Amino acid sequence: MKYIYSIIKADYQQRTRSYSFLITLAITMYAAYSFVPPPTASYTTLTIVGYKGIYNSAWVGYVSGMMTAIMLSMYGFFLVNGGIKKDIDTEVGLIIATTPITNFGYLLSKMLSNFMVLLTIAGVTFLVSIVLFFLRTTGYPFLISTFLIPYLLFVVPALFFISALAVVAEVFLKKGAMWQYIAFIFLFGIIMSNVTNTKSSSAIIFMDSFGIKTMTGSIENKINKQYHTTLSKGVSMGFIFNTKHTDVKLFEWNGITITGLFLISRLFWLTFPLALVYLSSFFFHRFDFRQSPGKKIKKLKNEQIADSPLPALAGFNRALLPPVVTDYGILPFIKTELLLLLRKGSKWTWLFLGSIWVSIFFVPLDIAHAYILPILWFLQVTRLSELATKEETYRLHYFTYASYKPLQRMLPAQILAGVVLAIALASPLIARYLIASNGNAIIDILGGAVFIVLFAVCLGILSQGKKLYEILLFLITYALIEKAPMVDYLGAIKHNSHIGYMAIVLVINIFLLLVSLTVRQYRSRHL
Amino acid sequence: MSLVIKNLTKQYNQHKTGLSDYSITIEKGILGLLGPNGAGKSTLMKIIATISKPTKGTLFLDGEDIVTNPDHIRKVLGYLPQDFGVYPNLNAYEFLEYIAAMKGVGGNGLRKRIDMLLEGVNLIADAKRPIGTYSGGMKQRIGIAQALLNDPKVLIFDEPTVGLDPEERVRFRQLISDMADDCIIILSSHIVSDIETIADEVAIMKNGILLTKGIQADIINHVEGKVVETLASTDEVAQIKAKHLIINTSRQKDKTRVRYITNQPEMGAAPVNAGLEDAYLFLTHNNA
Repeated sequence: MKYIYSIIKADYQQRTRSYSFLITLAITMYAAYSFVPPPTASYTTLTIVGYKGIYNSAWVGYVSGMMTAIMLSMYGFFLVNGGIKKDIDTEVGLIIATTPITNFGYLLSKMLSNFMVLLTIAGVTFLVSIVLFFLRTTGYPFLISTFLIPYLLFVVPALFFISALAVVAEVFLKKGAMWQYIAFIFLFGIIMSNVTNTKSSSAIIFMDSFGIKTMTGSIENKINKQYHTTLSKGVSMGFIFNTKHTDVKLFEWNGITITGLFLISRLFWLTFPLALVYLSSFFFHRFDFRQSPGKKIKKLKNEQIADSPLPALAGFNRALLPPVVTDYGILPFIKTELLLLLRKGSKWTWLFLGSIWVSIFFVPLDIAHAYILPILWFLQVTRLSELATKEETYRLHYFTYASYKPLQRMLPAQILAGVVLAIALASPLIARYLIASNGNAIIDILGGAVFIVLFAVCLGILSQGKKLYEILLFLITYALIEKAPMVDYLGAIKHNSHIGYMAIVLVINIFLLLVSLTVRQYRSRHL
Repeated sequence: MSLVIKNLTKQYNQHKTGLSDYSITIEKGILGLLGPNGAGKSTLMKIIATISKPTKGTLFLDGEDIVTNPDHIRKVLGYLPQDFGVYPNLNAYEFLEYIAAMKGVGGNGLRKRIDMLLEGVNLIADAKRPIGTYSGGMKQRIGIAQALLNDPKVLIFDEPTVGLDPEERVRFRQLISDMADDCIIILSSHIVSDIETIADEVAIMKNGILLTKGIQADIINHVEGKVVETLASTDEVAQIKAKHLIINTSRQKDKTRVRYITNQPEMGAAPVNAGLEDAYLFLTHNNA
């Protein structure tokens, strides 16, 4: 067990000693602050139509715990996913493969280090929730148990499960990050549909990995009892915007009753992830991709080829080389950047994206604009997040920064290539708006295309990694689908002043561009 | 063509100095940089390659300040870093076209130029394979090819022979010897024999300071007459080690052949011709 502890420690330190983790923590603090909105806020995180819970210790503690379990599970997967890939990329995996550590031992250590990272973030939201109690509440006593119970019984098992899922996804879907994301989003949707199910049974409570079905059931019971009613719409979770505060009935809720079934369920969600990891250890490639079970051996095409024998030691005659013709244009860069964007991902990935692209021609315009396009753009996350980080990832930045006017030529080429891809993916929608003579919508989409690319470039340059962008784009896409107006970067929601909206997007885009240029300029002379 | 470096200092932080008041003038030909790890060789090369800014000091290429105007050297620079990478999904042609775009090289002759360079580094047969499938030596060779794309006048090679087999090393030496007539070539290596074979001048560095610079014969003069060899038993080796600077040991049956530097040789030790490695170890040891 000692070496497992060492791996967990090293992995944890490696992940947390980064700018992107610090930025993630800062964003988490802000998010945690928004988990329990002030009574006058235009959104809610726990919604019961016509009713409102009094802000006592239980309400603040449980709502914060519930939101942490849901939100951190959601973006936490993106945060911790990729631990095994890192070992592949850095070739540390090859060293690990030669050590006595078992497959299960290695995967378990990865899972536990994922868990430690997520637990660190949950620790921050826990502290923020206590601060929130004193900010939002007056006249009710502070009860620490109402904070500890939801974090121990909702958050810990949920994060344990997510930590295991991140490892299992990497084992079965190997290096295909996009497929891992799609599989996770699909699974997360299933879990949430179970949680939000208005029906309640022992099986549903048992299968709820977050444990919050028990909480929402308890709230429903409290309202039904206090107001002698039967709630028809149940309790909704997550950020819901444009909430109206008129005609709401108040109720005081003091937390859940912990039953035997609930405790067994929590215990199950602490052991099931271990079983998942154990099972996946039988399929783990142990960094030898040609010997992983169930995989056909790829022939020479993808294998490392042997050195060819050298001919006579002739060198070459410089005088015979064609003269150098200078060309300081950026078109060759754009061509290569596009090539790199297109080659990232298998033909199956492109087939899948192609089918979504085709669907934009046929679904209703508003659905295509508000749902399909943001999802299609989100599915480019692994491509776009690499736009401005790949030089350092592949250690090509020495060439880039030593080249002629790198800032004026390379960065614009990367941005333009990304924008071309984003616009190409949006082209069916642009064509439909063109036919409908809706110029404003087209401008909004173009602004959105520029935004997602500049956002990727800026965060990539600032954090020197891909994770931050991947997590934030996921959260933005989620919030956009939930109709949150402040994250509408592509004009999917109606705004009071369209000119004002366009001006805001333009200012944000200019800001992102300036930050990218400034930081890149500094870095290019300080390697 | 000359590169004049004056009083160059690179201070990374309070405790770490990359270069300290470093001055050197580099003319056409091959300059070999020697020094132990942390001597500042890579720092110096990065500063000349304009990817690191000095804390103090000046660098002039033919009278033009390249600290304030880095693009002046970038147009004529070929740089092979120590720890470079490649885009694994591109093949050799695509990769070199990409680097050519960075260097501002284009036109109709580009493809032919790439062909000839690939031929020169013996990668033409594998040029259409993704570079991700290349061996370490092949990647190093593509690195050498990219450095030559723009017909550079200043060539910087940081540990260029790492990963090359002996035959490839010979080929590389021949290749850069051919270019030395009208280029400044700066070459760092841990393999003293590589420098010894091709460098016109040698600069020895330690702890960010230039210990000496000159033609090989002048540098070797530092230890001329001080290098001796002897056959010794295990106990005798320990005694020699305690008193003198050992350059090399090699097993010979039940004895060990020891090469060391001294002013007072042990009994039975015979003087031998000094080499660059002897001078290098002597100078870096004496300036500890």
